[in-house]
Amino acid sequence: MWHNVWAVIRREYLQRVRSKWFIVATTVGPLMMAGLIIVPAWLAVQGEREQFDLAVVDGTGVLYEGLASRLEKGGFQVEEARWHSNVVTELRERANGGELGGFIMVDELTLETGEALYYSMDVPTALRQVTVQTSVARTALEYQLEQQGVDPEGLLGGGELQVEVLSAAGSDISEPQFAIAYAGAFFLYMVILLYAVAVMRATLEEKTSRIVEVIISAMKPSELMLGKIMGVCAVSLTQMAIWIAAAVALLAGAIPMLIAARPELANLENLREIAPGMGLTALFVGFFVFGFLMYSGLYAAVGAMCNSDEEAQQAQFPMITLLIVPIVMVAPIIQAPNTPMATALSLFPLFSPILMWARVSGGGVPVWQVALSFVLMALMIWVIAAIAGRIYKVGILMSGKRPTLPELWRWVKEA
Amino acid sequence: MGPVTEPVRIMSDNGFALRLSGVTKRFGAHTAVDGLDFEVPRGVICGLLGPNGSGKTTSIRMIMGILGPDEGTVSLFGENPDVTRRTKVGYLPEERGVYKKMKCLELITFLGEIRGLKRAEARRRGGAWLDRLGLPEWADKKVEDLSKGMQQKIQFIGTVIHEPELLILDEPFSGLDPINQDVLEEIVRDYHAKGTTILFSTHLMDQAERLCERVCLISNSRKVLDGELKDIKAAERRGIVAIEFEGPDSWIQGPEVDRVEQGDDGLHLILRDGFDHQPILARAVNSGARILRFDLVEPRLHEIFVRHAGGRAVGDASMSEGASMASSSEDAVVGAA
Repeated sequence: MWHNVWAVIRREYLQRVRSKWFIVATTVGPLMMAGLIIVPAWLAVQGEREQFDLAVVDGTGVLYEGLASRLEKGGFQVEEARWHSNVVTELRERANGGELGGFIMVDELTLETGEALYYSMDVPTALRQVTVQTSVARTALEYQLEQQGVDPEGLLGGGELQVEVLSAAGSDISEPQFAIAYAGAFFLYMVILLYAVAVMRATLEEKTSRIVEVIISAMKPSELMLGKIMGVCAVSLTQMAIWIAAAVALLAGAIPMLIAARPELANLENLREIAPGMGLTALFVGFFVFGFLMYSGLYAAVGAMCNSDEEAQQAQFPMITLLIVPIVMVAPIIQAPNTPMATALSLFPLFSPILMWARVSGGGVPVWQVALSFVLMALMIWVIAAIAGRIYKVGILMSGKRPTLPELWRWVKEA
Repeated sequence: MGPVTEPVRIMSDNGFALRLSGVTKRFGAHTAVDGLDFEVPRGVICGLLGPNGSGKTTSIRMIMGILGPDEGTVSLFGENPDVTRRTKVGYLPEERGVYKKMKCLELITFLGEIRGLKRAEARRRGGAWLDRLGLPEWADKKVEDLSKGMQQKIQFIGTVIHEPELLILDEPFSGLDPINQDVLEEIVRDYHAKGTTILFSTHLMDQAERLCERVCLISNSRKVLDGELKDIKAAERRGIVAIEFEGPDSWIQGPEVDRVEQGDDGLHLILRDGFDHQPILARAVNSGARILRFDLVEPRLHEIFVRHAGGRAVGDASMSEGASMASSSEDAVVGAA
């Protein structure tokens, strides 16, 4: 038996991995990911680079230090220019000579109103204007507060709110966690659907081209179905392994190197902090594999019972629904992951890959629930294999019109 | 006592590569195969003959386990036709299915592998077959780049790659040009010489006549006739006499002779049914004519088929070719009846 299954797996795997589609999707995916992250950050910095050398003319004698440190945090290179009657002309010349991107003048009025003058070689971007403006205003405010004998740190930092959660049902989910939970759930939906549909199309193609008649004369339908699903599964795992490896290379290799070379890209460091860790990644792959095994079985049965792409499009409607329902519920469930409703829905095996993932990646789900969801999914795989396997066995060699539900039920009972 | 066991063994199912007993298949109200009995002894080339729609492909699908019979049984090599038995069969379906995106040699290798060959061995044999059929440069080309005829050759290689004991070929010659039909016929003869049992279906009677030792004629879902081709022909050898002579021709006309036709090999006397040719010969000798040739013409398979199946084939409009075949031969059938 395994000789045949293995032959089917190998055929399926090699055919797909060598296809142009696979090569393009697998390489373009990480490239786009890297591109979306790095290129905008790099471009933004690139365009502004020369404009970030600023001189500060401090007419008050008390603002320079604070202002310089704020501006430097915002990515500027700052130097102090002494105030004298010709300072504007002099700095203007230096800027025209390419030495400076511009200069800022603060004086006594600044201390009272926060007004300042910013001479710039170009029209500054909104971001640059805001950075300069808030730096000036905050430095002035800081000075005034100090004069009043008040600690400026806390107030200027925007205060601090300490939250005590009184009930166990609450969860505090940070923004990056929300993004990962949501993006991950959507990604799971896409890959499960994509690869399950691949199984369906392959089954349909074998059926309509009639090559299945030759194959079934040499092996049991269950062997063909198993080999097909395992083959596609191996392809999908290969693709995911490449993607994960690319992400690791990007986060652990490319970004630190980039930051070392261009310190102004320091913001990219944040990515490393929000990226899911090993445990969460493994869980993601686990949810994918179990989800794929459930849905690919159903999709294989659909492929086997249909005779054309059009029929298959219609017949896959129930499965699409089963995948879309949890997607719709992802957002509310991330917000309130521990309500009885959320728990129950995420334990329903066909919803688990998406909903349990959403809850887990948001944090605060008991381990036993995750374990239980995997046990329930495993049971579901077994049930689907039994039912879908019978439909597959009858359908794959059947031609003529698509079976009705009662007919399907008869196939399941009789096969 | 030794020799006694031998015929007994042959008489048992073991002597047959294939046996169908009372096999019936219905699709809704339509009976596609009706109580079909026939067997193929080991080592024989057998033709399954009949017009399109007569039930040939349905029968073959039941043999291959693709369809389950509603009644009756199929046995392969004397046993249930399960997967183990079926891997000893090389099956070329009527509808030529291939994995179009695969490279030719890989497809052949895969088909060998699932019939139990080791991968390397399947690859080696596949390469040798591609050489033999003049396709070596196509080994690494995708199947979809090949012409239909070439695809069919690839599929045929996939059918025989595991050196099956029984070859079941459904309309193997259709879609091939005459040269490739000859190539295929040659290969089929080779396998026959090696002792492989071969069952092939066709609606081309000439092909069957050239190749088959046994035939099974079916029409409108039922078996019409089966047995050794030479026995059938011998039994059917009646009704037409080819003659060459010098001298008077008055002896030709008589109660036995229905009509006279000019054949390729002299005059053909078409006899009325149930009349013997012997009185004609007596008359000829008495008339003083000099008889150069007086030959009972062996009937063509086509004529035999029409003689037996024609009447039954009439009136089933759903099988276009069967119906047209029947109507074109109706005169002959009536004449013979």
